[in-house]
Amino acid sequence: MSSSITAPEGQLSRRDRFRAYMQAFNPTAPAWEAIRAGLVIEDLHQSLYRNLAARADLEPGSQQLVVGGVGSGKTTELILAGRWLNKRSQVLTFYVDVSTETDLSSLNSGALIASFGRQLGRRLADGPGAKEHTEERRQKLKESYAKVTEYAYGKTELMLADENGSWIEEAISEGSDVPPGRHYLHEVPGKLKPPLPPLNRDIQEVRAPLEDLLTTAKEVHKDVVVIFDGLDRLLDATKFWSVVLQDLRLLRGLKVSVIITAPLSVLFGVGVGQSISDFFDRVHHLTVIPSDPVDKSLWSVLQKRGAIEFLSAPLPSVLCTDSGGVLRDLITLARDAAEEAYVSDRDSITLADIEKVAHQLGTGYLRGLGPEAINVLLELEGSRSFDVSQPANVELLLTRRVLEYSSTDFRVHPALLSVIPRPEPKSA
Amino acid sequence: MPEFSSQPFFEIARRLEIRGENGWLAVLSPATDSSAGLDQLQADLRSVLQKPTRAIQLQPSTFEELREAMHQPDDDAVILSSGTSLTQEKWRSLDIMRSALERKGPVILWLSPGDVANLTGYAPNIRSFIGASIFLAGPDGSIMTDAERQERLNDLSQHFGFTGDEAVRRAEAGESPHEPEFVEWLVLLGRGDLL
Repeated sequence: MSSSITAPEGQLSRRDRFRAYMQAFNPTAPAWEAIRAGLVIEDLHQSLYRNLAARADLEPGSQQLVVGGVGSGKTTELILAGRWLNKRSQVLTFYVDVSTETDLSSLNSGALIASFGRQLGRRLADGPGAKEHTEERRQKLKESYAKVTEYAYGKTELMLADENGSWIEEAISEGSDVPPGRHYLHEVPGKLKPPLPPLNRDIQEVRAPLEDLLTTAKEVHKDVVVIFDGLDRLLDATKFWSVVLQDLRLLRGLKVSVIITAPLSVLFGVGVGQSISDFFDRVHHLTVIPSDPVDKSLWSVLQKRGAIEFLSAPLPSVLCTDSGGVLRDLITLARDAAEEAYVSDRDSITLADIEKVAHQLGTGYLRGLGPEAINVLLELEGSRSFDVSQPANVELLLTRRVLEYSSTDFRVHPALLSVIPRPEPKSA
Repeated sequence: MPEFSSQPFFEIARRLEIRGENGWLAVLSPATDSSAGLDQLQADLRSVLQKPTRAIQLQPSTFEELREAMHQPDDDAVILSSGTSLTQEKWRSLDIMRSALERKGPVILWLSPGDVANLTGYAPNIRSFIGASIFLAGPDGSIMTDAERQERLNDLSQHFGFTGDEAVRRAEAGESPHEPEFVEWLVLLGRGDLL
């Protein structure tokens, strides 16, 4: 456990150096923080965010899908697109991370509409220009917002029974006199409050209040764009479709442009009879970025965040290769390697530090894999063939054990590949 | 190379400290006496990070409860304990709510070995946050031998140029140097209460 200690003054500056580096390589920092700190390379994915924003801006009611594996940089692209729209056009843009609004594991159709409607209502009530509305308009906005909120969170109605004791399924309106007789309280569930039972309420019921809100919004802004993030967490494509079909159809009808994320599994249509290209106007797929000595895209990520001070050649290339081109893995490995150097009282990263953290990353991916899955991985490594029609194989993609570089180029994550146990060669 | 890096709790806390905000990592709980280990981890985190530390049980918590607990407050250190192994379904459901778990303060997952396998298989979004930071707690990782402890105390005494008694006196007088090594020294002297 013994380790050498440098002089206190040196220690302090050494610690500050490492702290600054760790801040730049923080794989769990919110994407907007990294953008604001100038740590993001905006053209990493061929400036995808500009394409997303331009289409949403030019074609009201358009619907675009962004698909990519875990840690591929989807949220960063969405936030950049939102920022671009806010800066350059007359578009009112909303960014909704659905997974922070509601429990996605019990998500129902109507939840996207409810989340969007709530944000729109809040913006109109409290945002810039709210004070300029007439009293009549303010009242109307308040009513529409209340209806959307009821739709989102449900309500409690007072119900009446007739003289025979049978419940009359008609709610007594708020503020009116309560007629004599027996009463009971009836709970109408909302769309966002978990846990949610399967609901059959017509999504059209929220259309009218939403239209009212949008009419007010469009008096000031030319168009409205909503960016839905977080739906890529729904690894099951069936669930994704059951939610988006109804909600997005309504938003298209209201001419609200939509940019939405989806899990990788929607690309392969496992267990679902839906084709994404039939439904969405454009599908953007963020593949992993190959470690390419000519292209140097991954290397530029390290450079932008100031890795040069801690990494001498050829260590950046080793990091890029070990990450497999998964952006978050690259940032994590760069951070963890520095952490190893720091706790070992070294001033810069060594190859041994990188090997150690890459081994740990690979071990994490290996955990929980059965012999069958390991055979699939070894076969992929040998033959480069990978059948994406098999749900078990899609699972390997979703968990990032297999990486997709193009529609015909699948490879085992290099950190995992280095720790996969190999079968003993058969003796002659 | 061992499967997971074995680390004293103090070292795990030190890693979180150098990472700054939003840090996530996982610690494999020891097979026996897990609750004592959890207490020790909490104490070391408190000392090194100089932050309040809470342990939250993942098992019975609903989405709403967890979201609220993680954000009120959102800057202390939180240990999410799986207790006995979580079901695959629970891991899936935690995974899709990862954004709701994101916070300013550090998040430490306290897991059984079975949970680590499920984390990788059923919670790829959380696993992506954990990355390679899965550490092993246990007798060899959490507790130093007497000889190791004595050697480290000598190193620290030499480094600062005064004895352990003097270190305690200075800490009591509020004259502690602002260095992680001094924090480590007090913890090794059994005086983490002075931090």
